Formats: sequence, structure tokens, C-alpha cells
Amino acid sequence: MKKNETAKRHMGLRALNRASNTAIYILLIIISIIWLIPFVFIVLQSFRVESTYQVGYVIPHQWGLQNYINLWNSDFKRWYLNTFIIALASAVLVTVIQLCMSYTLSRFRFKLRGPLMRFMLILGMFPGMLTMIILYRVLADLGLTQANAVPGLILVGCASSGMGYYVSKGFFDTIPKSLDEAARVDGATRLQVLYKIILPLAKPIVIYTILTAFMGPWGDYVFARYVAFGTSAGYNVAVGMYSWLTNDQIARMYTTFCAGGVIVAVPVTILFLCLQKYYVEGVTGGAVKG
Amino acid sequence: MASVKLTNVKKIYDKNVVAVHDFNLDIKDKEFVVFVGPSGCGKSTTLRMIAGLEEISEGTVEIDGEVVNDLQPKDRGIAMVFQNYALYPHMSVYDNIAFSLRLKKIPEDVIYEKVTKAAEILGITEYLMRKPRALSGGQRQRVAIGRAMVRDSKVFLMDEPLSNLDAKLRNQMRAEIILLRQKLDTTFIYVTHDQTEAMTLADRIVIMKDGFIMQVGSPDEVFDMPDNLFVAEFIGAPKMNIVKTQLVLEGGKYYVTPFGAKIPVDGDKGKALSDRKIKPGPVLLGVRPEHIELAKAADHAIPCTLVVDEMMGSELHLHVDTEDGSRLIVRVPTLDLSKEERKQLVAGAKLHITFEGKAMHLFDPETEKNLLA
Amino acid sequence: MKQYSDLEFLRLSKWQKFVYRLVSFFCSIPRAIGRFFKNIGGYIKKAALAVVNELRDIGVTFVHGDWKTKVSYVVMGFGNMARGQVLRGLLFLIFEVVFIFYMITAGGHWMSMLPSLGKVGPTQEYDAILDTYTTVYNDNSFKILLYGVLTIFFIVAFIYTWRLNVKQNKLAEQFLKSGKKLKSDKDDLRSMVDEQFYKTLLALPLTGILVFTVLPIVFMILVAFTNYDGAHNGFSNNLFTWVGLDNFNTLFSWKSAGGGQSYSATFGEILAWTLIWAFLATFTNYFLGMFVAMMINKKGIHLKKMWRTILVMTVAIPQFISLLYVSKMFARNGLINLTLLDWGWIKQPLPFWEDATWARISVILINVWIGIPYLMLITTGILMNIPADLYESARIDGANAWQQYTKITLPYMLFITGPYLLTSFTGNMNNFNVIYLLTGGAPTNPAASGAAGSVGYTDLLITWLFKITTGAESQYYLASVVGIMVFVVVALISLVVYNVLPSIKNEEDFQ
Repeated sequence: MKKNETAKRHMGLRALNRASNTAIYILLIIISIIWLIPFVFIVLQSFRVESTYQVGYVIPHQWGLQNYINLWNSDFKRWYLNTFIIALASAVLVTVIQLCMSYTLSRFRFKLRGPLMRFMLILGMFPGMLTMIILYRVLADLGLTQANAVPGLILVGCASSGMGYYVSKGFFDTIPKSLDEAARVDGATRLQVLYKIILPLAKPIVIYTILTAFMGPWGDYVFARYVAFGTSAGYNVAVGMYSWLTNDQIARMYTTFCAGGVIVAVPVTILFLCLQKYYVEGVTGGAVKG
Repeated sequence: MASVKLTNVKKIYDKNVVAVHDFNLDIKDKEFVVFVGPSGCGKSTTLRMIAGLEEISEGTVEIDGEVVNDLQPKDRGIAMVFQNYALYPHMSVYDNIAFSLRLKKIPEDVIYEKVTKAAEILGITEYLMRKPRALSGGQRQRVAIGRAMVRDSKVFLMDEPLSNLDAKLRNQMRAEIILLRQKLDTTFIYVTHDQTEAMTLADRIVIMKDGFIMQVGSPDEVFDMPDNLFVAEFIGAPKMNIVKTQLVLEGGKYYVTPFGAKIPVDGDKGKALSDRKIKPGPVLLGVRPEHIELAKAADHAIPCTLVVDEMMGSELHLHVDTEDGSRLIVRVPTLDLSKEERKQLVAGAKLHITFEGKAMHLFDPETEKNLLA
Repeated sequence: MKQYSDLEFLRLSKWQKFVYRLVSFFCSIPRAIGRFFKNIGGYIKKAALAVVNELRDIGVTFVHGDWKTKVSYVVMGFGNMARGQVLRGLLFLIFEVVFIFYMITAGGHWMSMLPSLGKVGPTQEYDAILDTYTTVYNDNSFKILLYGVLTIFFIVAFIYTWRLNVKQNKLAEQFLKSGKKLKSDKDDLRSMVDEQFYKTLLALPLTGILVFTVLPIVFMILVAFTNYDGAHNGFSNNLFTWVGLDNFNTLFSWKSAGGGQSYSATFGEILAWTLIWAFLATFTNYFLGMFVAMMINKKGIHLKKMWRTILVMTVAIPQFISLLYVSKMFARNGLINLTLLDWGWIKQPLPFWEDATWARISVILINVWIGIPYLMLITTGILMNIPADLYESARIDGANAWQQYTKITLPYMLFITGPYLLTSFTGNMNNFNVIYLLTGGAPTNPAASGAAGSVGYTDLLITWLFKITTGAESQYYLASVVGIMVFVVVALISLVVYNVLPSIKNEEDFQ
């Protein structure tokens, strides 16, 4: 009798567990659909050729590559190249600057370290947009706006990137300091400690930094729009494609926008998925420790 | 191969936290000195100041007569073994050991020579191509020592090198460090919190507490004649029994009166007491567990009750309560006991204990200094 | 309020404990702010003392110094060079020469113009040869302000360097007296990659921050005290000039600005929505992200990697694509409305972006869609780090799943992510992308039509700021004031949280 009861209890537990797992599966499937569906729609609509405006159905009645051909014939090529150059340049510059900053703040204890970190914290509380007005005028004086926006955007985008040192500093903090000390006793200068010991060990965070620095410019809208205002040749993809969705253009350019979205998103997403491991490591390792 | 001299060395953090007070020590060439003390006593800080990893707030450190305060660690002619080994995880064992030599731009064939020789001495030749994470704790320890060995340094610093190993391996590595010392024939400074390591390895022990040196001396000296209560309790395991009692002077002879018993302080100690004309009064009496003996009831034997008996193999640790409730530990060699006697030693048994005057240590209750030091 | 001792506290009921905690939290806010201002007093005193000490030291060094030191007071770096440190000396000297040259040729001019920000605007000059009037640009307020600030920076840097030069002489004398050797040029160069390596590493990042963040921020703070706008661009139409606190008065005045409500009411409305938005955006993402992470992490759920990848993939797609697309999807004539109309589920298009409440709810929901993957990643890492034995012991103690969550998971998560939540909150306050790309601030708030920029119901302070600067009037001065207010709000919140949450205070606690 008693044995029977315990058996029942065990059965109950298992059944409950199975029920909750089923519920979770259903939820996860719903979530996946919600998260993926807009992107599926974009892809589908980019192949729609019977109309260029928004419609009440998803699957094209007529399939074709007309939207992609439109892209090729528009300024999109130029925007794409602009963005790609900016992304590449910031991947290099931002990485160098951020690693210098975070390594220093993680490893050296100098007198101004505390005040410096506090100062940057306070500086970060000002909305960055505030500086746009003056930076635009300065860039304009240097001739780095409108059609020449690309170098200007690189300069402005990278110059202050040292302030985003938190994530990589968090990672550097996890590398034991005794490794530095051992290397210094072994006869290495601080420079040698950096490139012989720390950098090889910091590969995940280096890749994370490169990846995020590369991905950033693809979505940068506000400053790019400010600097390149009115000159299509200086646009990046975000500014250019935004202009397609304004009220007077959207009816003509909606499907082209979708095609552009696919062209922009696919390479970045593939790159991201390949390096996903490092991204997750960076986010979970460094972002929270801050 | 060098002497190390520390003069009035101080370490002050953040302007007011003093980690090391006025540290003075002269370490002779080829001496093996151990800094020992509880955690936070400043022993590691002192070592790291010698290594150049911590700035020296005040005072001077000299290695081989040269003041090294402002020298970088690499220019001080030292080698160091870290507590967590600090092996470079991305390099093979060979590269780990060769690292310092490569930085010195020594030709590869010489490096090969040196590394393989060190590996042979340490018995890690077969692991040379492995990465550190594929090694066991003991093997990592050997690599760390190997890395320090090939530097041909003047001073060999070791910061708690054995504390991450399990007990068995620790004993084995301790013996190997003694052998290594004979082979290397250089000056060693070794930091540990384990008094057994300190006693077995050192030529001289520096016992520290809260940034102060409590005593400097050979293992025999610190064991036989602890300068103060702290050293007395820190050195020796199980630790020394301390009893508050009275020192009385009767007919030119000194007695202590623990728990109502009256035990004469005879031998050298008694003589030293009278030579120094120590005034009778309250004292702290220290007796090591191994110097307490089980006795028959007699006028100077102390009655007590056995609370716990710990069988350690070669010896038995008896925790006993005296009549006023003080807990004492008695260490009895197992061989001294007959089977019958052993059987009687169970919790609750009534015992009598006694000890001899020459085994006593007497401390001033105020200053906690040894009355005879 | 009454302070309970630990033992008294333990005897309170659950409800009393909660109230006690809540009350002590709010009671500690004024104290935290008070402490801050008390500290400011301390800092000022310390700074004044430091200045006095410096001045005294400068005097003493001059009186006791040898002739090399005394010459160095005028010719910087002379002492260094005379004592064999040629490289250092040369750098000092070059800096001094450059500084003097700059001050004579340009700096002095900009400084002298700074109080007025220019006197003569553009004028029409008659060109006799072409027989036309051409515009001649004279003073440029923008440049005067910019270079004026730059010159002040330069002067401060010069004073610091000069002081360093004096100090080095003093140290060098002391060194030589005590029989030590000075560092040679070679030592100096070598130490740049060793002891002083941090200076080498920081040189580039800090220069960037100084020129592209500090300088612009100082400039923009100053703009808040001028009348710089589209009609006074300081160059091609009218010069701009100092107006004192007028702009702050405008923002905080209760007077109606043009039509509808006053500036201060508009500002208050936007600020309130900004705070509500930041709060909801942060915590919906946080809890839902944690929930999704826990579902995927649950024992017995298969294909963990696949679920995670599906979500993470959306992190990679640039936000402007996903946000713009979704924005259009929910538009009046977007996919959702058209489909629902087709199916006959609705008669009228749903006013996702046309109605204030609909729009506000929509942006928060879509923000969840954007934010969950990222939060899922962050929380997954931390959830997996919670020691499993905590759960095991809780289960043995008889805790059910919900209790395990509230007693173990949540406190642990909140402790670890405390600082992250703070930055995330302030980040959301300034979350330009989500709002601007989704709604552009729409629907327009008619009552606020008097304020600069076309203020909408979903506008945050940051999008308002953007609109102010890009509109036809480009009221930069007002944008500056709004920017300063954003800073003040963020700083206040951070200050309170930092002082109240014990876990954030110590950087090393989290290492």
C-alpha cells in the first residue's frame, strides 16, 4: 500500500515535469516564430515584384529579382561601400583604442586611475548627441562632411571609443595578475607582458571587440545622418535606406528597402554567427562585471 | 648567490594602512629563510617588496650590497615561484621554462640545454610538450620551480608554493625542495603559513604577525625558546597549552601552581629565573602537549577528565578537562601505552597528568613576553 | 526614523520588514545627497589647500634652488638639459615655444574676443570692379567660442607643464645631492614601454576623449548660456552672444510659449515619459530575458543551442533594419493592419502609431522584442554560474520552484547585475534608436506645439534634443539646456543608486 503511494507520487512528479517541459517547448516555439517572422517577411517581400508598396499578404504573387536590380541601379552601392569602409576602419581603430584603455585600467595602479575612471563615468552621463552640433561644424571646417563624410565618421566614431572600456576591462580583470608578475620577474617589460602573455590569452575579448566595433557602424543612424545630411554620396546604409521609408518614397521603395535589408543583414549575421562563441563570452564575461 | 638586507622596510597602503612595520633583516648568502605567520601578517607583502612587485614605502632593500628599491623585478637578479604557479597557459611546458631565457636573447641551443637539464632534475622531461592545463598540481609546481631554476638567479623567492597541493603531495614536494636547495646552492626566501614547512625547511625562521616581526631564529631556537606567547602558540602542533597561574618563590626555589598542583621550576629554567631575580606573581604557563605525561595520582599531579581521544597512528592526542574546566591537550606516543592502558583511554576516563619544570615556558601576562628571553 | 538593531529587525513581521526596508531606502536618499554635498565641501577645502601648498613649494624651490633651477622658471627644461636629460628638456622647451607662439599669433586674439563672442557680423561691401555688393564675413562667434575654450585648455596645460618643470628641477637637485644618478634619456625612452607604459597606452585614447568628448561638452555647456541658433549661427547671418541664464528661464518658465502649454510643462511631460519608458524598458527586458534564459536552461529541454541561436541571430541584424521594418509593419497601411482588414477582423486600422497610449505600449513591446535576446545571453551566463548546491540544499529544505526562484535566483541575479541595471536604465533614457526609428516621436502632441521641434507623445528627452537641433530653427542653445538637464537627471539617479546599493560601491567586490 505504502509502496504504491510513493510510486504514485513519483509518477506525479514525472508527469508534472513532462507537462511543464511541453509547455516550455510550446512557448519556445512561439517565441522563435515571433522573433524570426519579421526577418522571414523581409526576405519574402524582397522578392515581390508585382507591387512596390506595402500589401496585406506575405507570399509574393510574382517572384523576381527586380528589387535587387533596383538596388544595384541606385546609390545603395555607394552607401554599402561607405558603411563597409567605416566598419572596417573602426574594427581596427576602436579595437586598438579600447584594448589600450581597458588593459591599462585593469593592470596599472597609477595615481590618477581612480579619478580618471570617475571622470569618464561622469562624462558618459552627458548625452553623446550633444556633441554632434559642434563636431559637425568642426568636421565641416575640415571639409569632412557631406560627400566626404566617411573619414569624418571614422574619426568621430573612433576618437572617443576609449570610454567604452568596461567590457574588455572586465575580461582583463579575470586574467590572474600573477601571470604579469611572473613574466616581469622573468625579465619581460610591460610591453612584452602585453603582447607575449596577455594578448594571446585575451583572444576572445579581442575578437569580441573587433566584432562589435565592426557591427556598430551598420546600424549607426543619427550621427551619419547629421554629417552627411542631404548628400547621398556620403550616406551610410542606415541613412540612405531610412530615406526610402519617408512618406513620399515608401510607396515606390518599400520592397527595395526589404532587398537592401537582406543584403545588409546577411553578411553581418553570418559573420556574427561564426563568431557567436566569442560574442557570448564577451557579453557574459565582461558586460556585467563592468 | 647573494645576501639580502632589509633596513627599516615599511609598506603603507593608502596613506594609513600599514601592512609591514619597520622590517629589519639580514639574510646571509646561501641561507634558507622562511617567513611564516597567519594570513594578513605581511609576509607575502615583504617578499613581494623584495621581488619588486610592490613598491617599498620606506626603508631600503639591498641585494648583494646594491640598493634595489628603484629597480624593476627583472633587474634584481631574482627568481620567483608563485602560489598559484602562474604558468603561462598558452605556452607549452618547454616554452614556459624557456620564456625568461628567450627574453634575454640566449641562443636556442643553450636554452635547449638548460631547459632539458632542469626538466631532468625535476623529472618532468616527458611533459615538456604539454600545456600547463594538462598537468597535475604537483607537475605544475615542478614546472614553476623549473622556470625559476633556469634563471640562475641570485635569490630564489617562493610565495606559498605548496599551499595549493594536497597533504600527501605537499610532504613529497617539501622533501624535493630540500634536495633542490642542495643542488642549487643559492639564497632562498620562502613564505608560508604552515609552521611545519617553516620548521623543516628553514635555516632561520622569521615569524610575523600584523606586520611586525615576532621572532627571528633557527627552528630549534623558536621552538625551545619562543620570544613571546604568539610564537609559542604558533610553532608546534598541536599547539602549546597555556594556563594562567601563579609563580611563587619559596625558600629560594620557584614553583608554579596550576590547578592547585605545585610544580617546581627546576633545572636551567629555575636557575635562569633566580639569576634574573624574577619577581613571583601571576604568569602564563606554557607546556607543549608532548611534554605532558600521564601520571599516577600524586601531590603534584593534576586530576582531569578525558573528553576526546584522537588516534593519530604513532601518537595519541588526548583532550582533557581539568577540574576548573580548562581544556588541555596531551600527546602520548602510542608505543608508550600497553594494550590495557589504551583501552582505558575513552571519553570520561579520569586521568592524572604532570610535567617537568624544564619543559615549562613562562610568559608575562601583560606583555606576553617570555620571562626568560 | 527609528533604527532597528539586527535582533529587533528579525522579530518584525514580513510586512513590517518590507516597510522598514522601503522607508530606510528613501530615508537614505537625502543622506546620500547630503553626504555628496558634504564631500564637495571637503574637496573644495582640499583643493584650496593643495593650491596653497603648490604655491609655497614653487616659492621655496626658487629660493633654495641653484642657478639652473632658477633659469628653468623662465626657460622651461633648461635645468633638465643642463643636468644631462636632454630629451626631457627639449620637450619642455618645445612646448613652451609652441605655447608662446600660439598665444601671440592666435590664442591672445581668441581670448580677448571670448567675453563678447565677436563684434562685427557679416557686412555688405561694395565691389567696385564687379559693381556688386558682396558679403564679407568678419567675426565668427562659433570659432571664437571654440578656440577660446581650446586656448583655455592650452593655458591650463601650460601651467601644469610649467609646474612639472619646476618640480622636476627640485627632484633632480635632491637626487644629485643624495648621490643618486638621474635617469638618462635612454632610461626615459625605455621606461615608456615599461614602468611608464601606461602613459604610452593612454596617450591615444585620452587625446581622443579630450578632443572629441571633453572639448565639445565644455563647448556645449557654454552654448547653453548663449543665443546660438539657426538665426544666430555666429557667422553667415547674425553673431551670437552671451545671454546668461535666459535659456534656463525659458525652459522652466510657466509662461505659454506661442501656442498651447508652457515650456516647463512640455519638458515635464517628456521627462516623465522618459523615466517611465526607461523603467519599463529596463525591467520588462530584464525579467522576460531572464525568464526565457531559464526556460532554455531548464534541465530536460533539448536543442538548447538551437533556441539560443535563433534569438541571438536577431542581435546581429542592424537595428535600423529590424526597427524600421517593424515600424512600417504596424503602420496604418502596414502589413498587420492590411491583413487584419482583409480577414475582416477589424473595420478600422488599429492606431498603433496614431494614438498616444497605443504608441507608447507598442514601443515598449517592440523594445522587448529587441532586448530579450541580449538579456537572455547575459542572464544565461550568470544563471549558469549560480552554484548548483544552493539549489540542491534549497530543495532538501523543501523549496518549490517558485521559492527557489525568489529566494535564490532573483537575489543572486540582482546582486550581480545591480550595476548593469543602472547603466541599462540610463542607457534606455538615452535610447535614441528605438524611439526615433520606430515612431520618430509620433504621434504629435498638439499642446506642445509652442516648444521647439515638433514634440510627440513618445519623444524622449534625447529625441527631442535631436529634433530641436535639426528643425528649421535649430535652437542649439535650447538643445544644450536639455542636454544639461539629461545629465543632471542621469547623474542624480546614479548618485542615489550608487550611495544606496552597497554592492556597486566597491569595484573590487565584483572581481
